[in-house]
Amino acid sequence: MSTLLELAQGLQHSGFGTALAESRYAFPLIEGTHLIGLSISVGLIFLIDLRLVGLFLRQVPAHTLLRSLLPIVLWGFALIFITGVLLFISEADTIIVSPAFPVKLVLLFLGGLNALYFEFKLSREPAFQSNTAAILPDKVRYSGFASLALWTLVIIAGRMLAYL
Amino acid sequence: MSAVDVLTSLQNSFLGQAIGQSNHLVGATAQVFHILGFIFLLAAVIFINLRLLGLVLPNVPLREVSKQPIQFLWGGFFFASVSGLLMFISVPTLYYANPAFISKLVLYGLAIVFQLALYQRVLKTEHPSKVLVWVSVALSFFLWFGVGLTGRAIGYV
Repeated sequence: MSTLLELAQGLQHSGFGTALAESRYAFPLIEGTHLIGLSISVGLIFLIDLRLVGLFLRQVPAHTLLRSLLPIVLWGFALIFITGVLLFISEADTIIVSPAFPVKLVLLFLGGLNALYFEFKLSREPAFQSNTAAILPDKVRYSGFASLALWTLVIIAGRMLAYL
Repeated sequence: MSAVDVLTSLQNSFLGQAIGQSNHLVGATAQVFHILGFIFLLAAVIFINLRLLGLVLPNVPLREVSKQPIQFLWGGFFFASVSGLLMFISVPTLYYANPAFISKLVLYGLAIVFQLALYQRVLKTEHPSKVLVWVSVALSFFLWFGVGLTGRAIGYV
């Protein structure tokens, strides 16, 4: 832990980290961009999840909705990943000691795992690909519920970084 | 009575005191509702704009595809606004002079007017003109993203 902390302090006190943290416009702008990236990625994932569990656009095949939104979701993820790394660099030594940080990382990992399982397994099965029904098979719905819950918790843990 | 007096009495009111003196996790909970509500609002705006531009579900009628997202938009708006109001009541004297907060309120007001006056009317038109589509998409992104960006900056200016 102490080497991790030292590494974090080194990052934050590097010229780049200090410049970011002290910049009047850069820091709030990166925070704001992180929020907008969240609404593009996680926000659209929420809409896909709501379709998977049968609460949104039931008249549209889930597969059609998924394929049209996925490229945009990935652009949103690129945006939150880049801004997230920048925010970490500028506040590294307070973030690394917050109990919310490892919780957020674990939840991110689980959310990612669920997304990969859905993308590479469930969404490629004929029961999903050629399914135009309003209500999808149980395992697809469970994956949608898991995604809704996990990404919500990621956001909550992220917000708690400022408090814990 | 000046604006500061009004805000000070608001802060000293029962509700203002109750929120201000409660555990800081109460404030954090309000923030969580604020951010989740706003993400829902923005997701709906992004989705509707993608459909307006013909990038998502171009074959489903506009009115049909935007009906539920409009409900999500106002649902998110409700949660974000109520939680925002509660956060404001606890320390209004801190917020009211903050330039980011003032910009946010102005953009928020404009976004509501735009939403009711133009956006929702466009969504009821089955084939809005290209100009109308571009104006609606540009204005809604500018106003709602603007609310998010200025809101996020409140703590730093």
